[in-house]
Amino acid sequence: MLKLSTIQKKQIVGITGLAMVGFVLAHLSGNFLIYKGPEAFNGYAKFLHDLGALLWMMRAGILASFLLHMGFTINLVITNRKARVNRYYKYQNHRSESSLATQLMPLSGSIILIYIIFHLLDFSLADKVGIIQGIDYGLYGLVINTLKDPIHAVLYIISMASVGLHMYHAFQSVFQTFGLMSEKNQPRLVLASKVLGVAITLGYSSIPVYIMMNF
Amino acid sequence: MAEDKTITLTLKVWRQKNAEDKGHFEIYKAKDINENMSFLEMLDVINDTLTLNNQTPIAFDHDCREGICGSCGAMVNGVAHGPVSGVTLCQLHMRSFNDGDTVVIEPFRAKSLPVIQDLVIDRTAFDRIIAKGGYISVKTGSAPEANDTPIEKKKADASFDAAACIGCSACVAACPNASASLFVSAKVSHLVLLPQGHAEKKRVVQMVDQMDKEGFGGCSNAYQCQAACPKEIKVENIARMNREYIKEKSIR
Ligand code: HEM
Ligand code: FES
Repeated sequence: MLKLSTIQKKQIVGITGLAMVGFVLAHLSGNFLIYKGPEAFNGYAKFLHDLGALLWMMRAGILASFLLHMGFTINLVITNRKARVNRYYKYQNHRSESSLATQLMPLSGSIILIYIIFHLLDFSLADKVGIIQGIDYGLYGLVINTLKDPIHAVLYIISMASVGLHMYHAFQSVFQTFGLMSEKNQPRLVLASKVLGVAITLGYSSIPVYIMMNF
Repeated sequence: MAEDKTITLTLKVWRQKNAEDKGHFEIYKAKDINENMSFLEMLDVINDTLTLNNQTPIAFDHDCREGICGSCGAMVNGVAHGPVSGVTLCQLHMRSFNDGDTVVIEPFRAKSLPVIQDLVIDRTAFDRIIAKGGYISVKTGSAPEANDTPIEKKKADASFDAAACIGCSACVAACPNASASLFVSAKVSHLVLLPQGHAEKKRVVQMVDQMDKEGFGGCSNAYQCQAACPKEIKVENIARMNREYIKEKSIR
């Protein structure tokens, strides 16, 4: 593909992934406004929509990152599997070197992909109507009514665990990919990556839990 | 002197006649093996018996038998160079095993390192990568004055650590992607850290391109190579290679 080396491809995966980490964090801070009530939450949504062209530029950026990330990871995974057609009868993975999250990157990534499709159908492309006790609370009500459903809530939490698992490996990995990792800073970067992964999972998952307990 | 302890093992060894053969496992009993033998000496003993019984001995590569040439190597119970870290297969002693153990012995595997026979693999892909820049150009003649070119201690140490690579290909064998990144990065680091290596700085691009061309996988930062390396080469070298790669690509 495109005559790029495996290193260059991985660097594209890294930089687009990092852009998406930024998006995931910004999105989470927006979601937290749900705790402040319908005005704050819907107000934030309106603020974003009022950005107009700027919003579309951000959307285009995130879509491009997403497509490039996915395209190049799929391409790399195929290259890597081809190089390893000869498998072992017995193979021992050294857990001390890489966590399960590292091995599960293609799986967690694929779950995220499926999740994003349903997420867009649930919220972005749906009518922003959410009636709670006879009153339409717009997007706020839509989120409450969707995540009130235990099946939706559980699938949502599983998806957020996948995002967290992806981050658990991803954040520190970017530093290695761009040659910024050293034996000295590695433990701190790995720790930061794990904290990020767990925090993203807990942060996003707190919302359906809150909704199920209060509505 | 106390009598040496002996152990008896069941070996499950990969046998493959040639590159075309599909290959299969063969079971052998390794009886009364002296614990102080090396792993290769144990294979020598098995091969003696096989030869006496008119069977083809197990083919394996070896030369120095002291961990410096990089010829030997096999997967032992799923671990490159066996269960002891920081040693090559020839440096592994039988006291690392327990009486009654079953030991699975497979060749290092990767699409770009095809099996020639049994445990012997074709590593010429490594030679072709080295030919793309794993060297420096020097004037021959009388030896230069030793202290002519001062080198920072930190750099000299890092270069020396990378230079410990013996090209055994355990990193490729252990890698879930069969990537040669640790090998290539060791060669790049070894040379780029020294002033003598600066003339051919573009080697990083050429060697990586050759690595890709040979069909090795890319690095997914799983670091299984670091655990497998008998010379304990660190993945920090891969970070350096990635860094040098960006530098060399952006200069031109
Ligand atoms: C919100 C969405 C996503 C974010 C924030 C994200 C982030 C990242 C980051 C930062 C990396 C590390 C890159 C590096 O090591 O330099 C990465 C790697 C990876 N991502 Fe994603 N990713 C996302 C979605 C996906 C999706 C949808 C897929 C699959 C279709 C995927 C598959 C992978 C794979 C397989 C890797 C490992 C690549 C390798 O090591 O060779 N990711 N991701
Ligand atoms: S035979 Fe030389 S390193 Fe093992």
